[in-house]
Amino acid sequence: MKETKPTCKDVMSHICDNLGEDLNSPKCVAIKEHLDHCDNCKSYFHSVESTIKFYKMYNVEVDDKTHDNLLDFLGLKDQE
Amino acid sequence: MQSSNNIDEQELISKAQKGDRKALADLVKIYEQTVYNFAFKICRNKDRAEHSMQETFLSMVKNIGQFHGKSKLSTWLYTVVSNHCLMLARSQKKFGHTSFDDDEAFIDEKDIADWKVTPGNFTENNELKEILDEAIKKLPQDYRIVFLLRDIEGLSTEETGKITDLSIPAVKSRLHRARAFLRNELNKTFAYERN
Repeated sequence: MKETKPTCKDVMSHICDNLGEDLNSPKCVAIKEHLDHCDNCKSYFHSVESTIKFYKMYNVEVDDKTHDNLLDFLGLKDQE
Repeated sequence: MQSSNNIDEQELISKAQKGDRKALADLVKIYEQTVYNFAFKICRNKDRAEHSMQETFLSMVKNIGQFHGKSKLSTWLYTVVSNHCLMLARSQKKFGHTSFDDDEAFIDEKDIADWKVTPGNFTENNELKEILDEAIKKLPQDYRIVFLLRDIEGLSTEETGKITDLSIPAVKSRLHRARAFLRNELNKTFAYERN
């Protein structure tokens, strides 16, 4: 089977498909090689990674009032 | 969604199924933080997140007797939260207007630049929160849920498929489009301008 080198568009698409998954398939090895030499795709890869990290940053805490409201709502306040 | 001790959790579920209300309250306490946080990340609104959390645990309290342990309790809770948030979104008809039919639409090879901010060099502030909120609000809820389950909560593609009732290729396709779309939205603000 003829192996063709991935284009930048292939690489960017593959990054979006498989970020965080197994990177040992022949296709992924070719992608990694491309990434090593292509600044454009490296930037794209980092920006997708950063996007995910940004969305992991913000978390909300259950405060006492929200917790009390919940147990009240469920009729479990007496089980505290 | 990780329970600190699965054996304790099984015991709590068994007790709750026999009518032990203290065990039910303990299960609520184990999962309230995760459920609330997940609901908030879908709804991007504290009141709606609280409402979704209450409805989710009400469903757990009512139906715990029918829980047979075929899937994890956490998977079950994620499913209820997701369905509830989807229902809320449908009733408010606040889906994004962007077309999500074209896989290639979000990748523009010419629109690549380094970002001037990274998660490592950025301090949390309201401006950043607004940028993230605005971007994710444009993403239809069913795509948002897949992105949050896979990338933020760290669930597998298979688990995400079970929760959202989607095939594995459908989960992968939605995740691909969601990542590319959000990256493009943030790129508008975060990318260095090219000379």
